[in-house]
Amino acid sequence: MPTLIGQPTPRIDGRAKVTGRASYASDEPVANPAHAFLLTSFIARGRITGFDFAEAKAVPGVLDILTHESVGSEAKPPKQASGGPTTTTMEDDQVWHDGQIIGIVLADTYEAAREAGFRVRVHYAAETPAASFDAAGAERERRDDGEHQDYAIGDAEGALGAAEVTLQAAYATPTQHHNPIELFTTTCAWENGNLTIWEPSQFVYGLRANVAGQLGIPPERVRVISKFVGGAFGSKGGATARTAWIAVAARRLGRPVKLVATRDQGFTIATYRAETRHRIRLGATRDGRLTALVHEGTEVTSRPSRYNVSGNETTARLYACPNILTRVDIVHADRNTPGFMRAPPETPYMFALESAVDELAEKLRLDPIELRRRNDAKTDPVSGLPFAGRRLMACFDEGAARFGWADRNPRAGSMRDGEWLVGLGCASAVYETNIAACAARVSLRPNGTARVEVAGHDIGTGAYTVVAITAADRLGLDASVIDVAMGDTTLPAAPLAAGSSHTASLANAVAAACEMVRDRLARAATTRNAGPLAGRDPGTLRLVDSCLTAPDGVAEPLSDAVSRLSPGVVEAFAENIPDGAPPDAMGKLHAGTNPILRGYKRSDVAAYAFGAQFVEVRVHARTREIRVSRMLGAFAAGNIVNPIAAHSQYMGGMIWGLSAALLEKTELDDSAARYVNDNLSEYHIPVCADVRDVEVMMLPDDDDRANPLGIKGLGEIGIVGMNAAIANAVHHATGRRIRELPIRIEDLL
Amino acid sequence: MHTTMQTILRINGREARLDHDPRITLLDALRERLGLTGTKKGCDQGQCGACTVLIDGRRVLSCFSLVAAVEGEVTTIEGLSGEDGPLHPMQQAFLDRDAYQCGYCTPGQIMSAIACVTEGHAGSPDEIREYMSGNLCRCAAYPKIVEAVQQAAPHMRGETA
Repeated sequence: MPTLIGQPTPRIDGRAKVTGRASYASDEPVANPAHAFLLTSFIARGRITGFDFAEAKAVPGVLDILTHESVGSEAKPPKQASGGPTTTTMEDDQVWHDGQIIGIVLADTYEAAREAGFRVRVHYAAETPAASFDAAGAERERRDDGEHQDYAIGDAEGALGAAEVTLQAAYATPTQHHNPIELFTTTCAWENGNLTIWEPSQFVYGLRANVAGQLGIPPERVRVISKFVGGAFGSKGGATARTAWIAVAARRLGRPVKLVATRDQGFTIATYRAETRHRIRLGATRDGRLTALVHEGTEVTSRPSRYNVSGNETTARLYACPNILTRVDIVHADRNTPGFMRAPPETPYMFALESAVDELAEKLRLDPIELRRRNDAKTDPVSGLPFAGRRLMACFDEGAARFGWADRNPRAGSMRDGEWLVGLGCASAVYETNIAACAARVSLRPNGTARVEVAGHDIGTGAYTVVAITAADRLGLDASVIDVAMGDTTLPAAPLAAGSSHTASLANAVAAACEMVRDRLARAATTRNAGPLAGRDPGTLRLVDSCLTAPDGVAEPLSDAVSRLSPGVVEAFAENIPDGAPPDAMGKLHAGTNPILRGYKRSDVAAYAFGAQFVEVRVHARTREIRVSRMLGAFAAGNIVNPIAAHSQYMGGMIWGLSAALLEKTELDDSAARYVNDNLSEYHIPVCADVRDVEVMMLPDDDDRANPLGIKGLGEIGIVGMNAAIANAVHHATGRRIRELPIRIEDLL
Repeated sequence: MHTTMQTILRINGREARLDHDPRITLLDALRERLGLTGTKKGCDQGQCGACTVLIDGRRVLSCFSLVAAVEGEVTTIEGLSGEDGPLHPMQQAFLDRDAYQCGYCTPGQIMSAIACVTEGHAGSPDEIREYMSGNLCRCAAYPKIVEAVQQAAPHMRGETA
């Protein structure tokens, strides 16, 4: 049967995006809003001893200034998706980190609120902060098993001692901030005790439940609207402190309040990718078979939070190795609480492992692809379960052929093009296949159009189009006649758009609702005797080309099939709870918890997407300028719903990798525990001129053990291998092994 | 300092008479006063390009322009095409090439791309890359943005029917 799933489909929201009519949260019109400006702390640790508002309140148009003294008891801190307790904001006088929200100025205009904000004087009892690793006062603890887990398979220490070849190396990754181009905005309005929040969100049900809990009101009294999200990358997944305070402000003023936080505030009022350190020890036979793998990570977090990403849960599972040991320590510093950022566990941890594998290959005088082939795992080394598809080596083979890997002279520093040293590097990419419970409502009209409602999130992934394609495919219609409503808690509950799970979660729920529609139409057509399909087996009928069709081709127009049941629409509501997910998953979702089933926590298979990433770098022989001239990613990530948007996402992920490896680092002032380059001209991300050839290959990978539609997700895997592929290419170009990111000119002088 | 002043702006072929705070930027006036929210705020510091509009055909960062100082005809993304009518060739090219993901920087990219062509800076992919480097795209649609400019340029120059 021909299927729309996998056919290139232009985004159904494309026209809205190119005409400026796509409505992001701060674009939504509200009547007569007051404008908010956040006051944030100038110290990283201590207490607030007082405020001086005289000058600020004299600014015309100022309505109120909220602090812990005036509203501190009116909201509780938001619950974090991970890591337990977080820092407080205006709940009390404590300052946990630089840039903490300590007050909100409200005024008739943004201009007045901002000016008044700069005229507030704050008095502190400051203490010396600890900024990061190694700072006096930073507290180290071992991360307990719980949400994340350490592995001790076999006897890794013993195997290392006995290994023919060993490699030991330390790696480090920096603080990085998501910096979506859309700022962190919140607009709140109350009407008859009901709160509406317009805020860019990766999880509207989560935000609703969280804010309701913070304010002590029932979630049914809160509506969150987030139709378009201007980039998120993890930063808009959890509830941050600002939302409840803006709600409190709007309630006090009896007027909508609009906050558009500034770019620098975005560095401290939301989350970030924390700096990590790694120690890797590998043992191998002389012919390149791994005998031991030890990956120890250390991660920074805030004082109260135990947030960590524990990416060695992935690195332990990539290669066949009988002896594995992992461990994660966390270091508490006077910082805001970190959080999810694109491929949170893999981006730092795979940099370490895939650099170490390259180093081991060099030591063994083996091609790095060949070393990976010799250790390609047939089953999950931790659980022993089969993989739900594992095409890692197919990705390497097809990618290498296309990239021209065979032309690579393996000797470091041997390839040159005029003034430029040329290096080719590669690395594996892997990301777990996740899926979450999700509900959807599908309404089919007699005129052959349909509407799908699901509180999902299009954060740039093409989710609107994924939903339309899935419904069109299952209902036998064209994607262009499917009207999709998302991003609103009045719609059926959808999970967090994160963990590369959203396409699988939405599409499987929409397909389930469509199947209910088909089933109702088919039963009516076969049991009510007037009509060409009377007496047929309803299970064999399909919706194809606007008809209800039997296997022998006998068909009834959709309009007749629908009209038989209803003069209006045929509607179905489905809740999809993935096999293996807890039965109360939908309840969790309504309570604001993301009911995700992780690919490595399943009892039947280990579900992962795989990829191979190739990079050509050019390092200038004299200036040491580093340029990425070519990158290629070959991925086997399940069934692709829309190759157009999938290509863009893979490409974006790969460029994120270029950025992480060569550009991005949030610099810390160690004495003040303060981010220094908190703006877009000093926090470097790539511009158009930084990006040259980017090639994406999508290999077939159809395995319905992943989930019924065989969708594995691909929002994150594109970045996963890039850090190491670039570091490995830089090594190949220059002979210099850089183990700390980002790699900069000064590292190669 | 906090007196109100009046400015007449010409935007997308219409006149808008605005009583305003002298401190208001063109960006905030478009978004908060005139309902033209297609122009986006990404940094408010002249660093990201999301707020790019055209003034008399030249690309201008509206976050860096005070309303009181604006002279000339302002064109925003809303002024490029009608509600349901044909798209501007650059809008069509962005749509055809999937030259966006989240879409937030897209209005600024499109305004900048139009100027890139009219300035005569769309002669080669390298030139486009250079002259489109004032507009950040965090989703990193850059290769497709270059393709879109290449697609639209001949249409804009009238080289293609």
